[in-house]
Amino acid sequence: MRRGAFKRGLTLFWWLTIAFLYLPLAVIVFYSFNSANSAAHFAGFSLRWYDRLFHNDQLLGALSNSLVLGLASSIVALIIGTLIGYGMYRHRSRKLGWLIVLIYLPIVMPDIVFGISEMAFFVSIDRQFGVLGPSLATMIIAHVTFQIPFVALIVYSRFVGLDPTLFEAAKDLYASPYKRARHFLLPTLKPSLIAAFFLSFTLSVDDFVISFFTAGPENATLPIYIWGAIRRGVSPEINAIATLMIGAVMIAAVLSLLFNRQGRRQ
Amino acid sequence: MVKTDETEPNSPSPYPLAAYSRSMSPDTRHLLWSVAPGAIWIAIFLVLPSFYLIGVAFMTNGPYGQPQMPLSLDAFRQLAGFGFLGWSPGNLYTLLRSLWQTFVATGLVILVAYPLAYHISICREKWRPIMLLAVVVPSWTNQVIRAFGWMNLLSPGTPMADAAQFLGLIGPNMGLYPSNFAVTLGLVYNFLPFMVLPLYAAFEKLDMALVEAARDLYASPVRAFWHAVFPQTLAGLLAGTVLVSIPAFGMYVVPELLGGGRAMMLGNLVANQFSGGSNWPLGAAGALIMLIATFGGLYAMRKVGKRLGGGEEVVI
Repeated sequence: MRRGAFKRGLTLFWWLTIAFLYLPLAVIVFYSFNSANSAAHFAGFSLRWYDRLFHNDQLLGALSNSLVLGLASSIVALIIGTLIGYGMYRHRSRKLGWLIVLIYLPIVMPDIVFGISEMAFFVSIDRQFGVLGPSLATMIIAHVTFQIPFVALIVYSRFVGLDPTLFEAAKDLYASPYKRARHFLLPTLKPSLIAAFFLSFTLSVDDFVISFFTAGPENATLPIYIWGAIRRGVSPEINAIATLMIGAVMIAAVLSLLFNRQGRRQ
Repeated sequence: MVKTDETEPNSPSPYPLAAYSRSMSPDTRHLLWSVAPGAIWIAIFLVLPSFYLIGVAFMTNGPYGQPQMPLSLDAFRQLAGFGFLGWSPGNLYTLLRSLWQTFVATGLVILVAYPLAYHISICREKWRPIMLLAVVVPSWTNQVIRAFGWMNLLSPGTPMADAAQFLGLIGPNMGLYPSNFAVTLGLVYNFLPFMVLPLYAAFEKLDMALVEAARDLYASPVRAFWHAVFPQTLAGLLAGTVLVSIPAFGMYVVPELLGGGRAMMLGNLVANQFSGGSNWPLGAAGALIMLIATFGGLYAMRKVGKRLGGGEEVVI
């Protein structure tokens, strides 16, 4: 009997926590359809804030900044990170402790220290030499820096999961380095490279703190724009754009679930 | 990608770097070419700036907020509360508040995550991935948006604020934010998944035979839990504590949006010195403390994890 009560208590606790986790998001979605310009009461259903979104040039500019930054940084990070991941695997018998430390550094560094140190560094260089002032370029540099480790670790773990004799086989068949890369390395890596690219892109688009401190005045990304709007006093459009972003996350969640299912069935 | 090992004659080369590269074994050369771009990138764009920042922490604040020579410990003195106008403990309070907030938030996260992870681990197997996903998905949304959601929930006139007013916790026409309470709430909300995942990993591997043995020996449920279950989850708990407390200590967005000046944390203090306040050395000193806390925490976890055995397999 007591066991049953314990389990029921756990289930109740589970649902309360789920409510706690989703309530703040639900409120945003709810008020994005509010026809009144207020976050305190709901005056009726309306799509006017969504309509406004598509006529807000600043916001559309921020969206395009986010996408350009995400694409550019992910491509650079993919190339550099893949090379490191491959190097780490090929030379895993060597003592590469320093490299591991270097790679984990961007991951463990607190965002605020990361962003501030890059900002201070770029600003000082700009003062001395007149280059690397806050701009899209500094943002790309900063983003690549935190994306490299994730790409390297994904690629590395893919290699580790492979049968090492495959490498020998490719070599034994006298495949040239180019052919080995073209017909063996790249095809086996392809799923990991796609995953690494999407992870990099997501990290970049989602990042706020590091972008905030390395951005110039014209490079506001979507999170920076939202931040500014919140600080200026909330406009209901923020609810609408935030709802679209929450929707994107939910779609990604469902897709990841489907992919996992499929992966397990195979 | 892979350079073939054609041994070249040692012809004198006009390019010293190329000659140096050729003098290495092909294997070393390969290592260099694959690893160097990324290693150099991180060294230049993260290690170098970090050392620059550490250097700034030991410089003096100039009249225009620029770091200047001579080297001094002024910034640390200011952080400890010794201002130009005598004792003003604002900075010290911020530092202590960050530690306190981190401590409270981590404790609360453990209290929520522990039963939650256990619950997931005893549910039907096909539901578990979905349940884990349900816990993690909110943290995929942008942290600015999440904090904004809480601003909506805690502002004046909302049911939660009304309830708090009814209980006499806050004055009339006030909201639950900005406040220290809102910051704690925001931290717990942000970092809950970071604790649930490693704890779930621990619960999933739980050896129930130990629990049954304890029960067969007439241990009470509490004793059985304490001696048979809890030790098995310690490694997960430790990993979760590091994953929660380190980023919580350096949090910027949550205290900035949900806390006011009186709920400021170290991250805000640091950021303010680089924008409005313009006291780079003070900001850099705060950042240095954050770095020390981060690496100290990671080091401590490695030490304790090794003693526990198997603590290290739970990484992110």
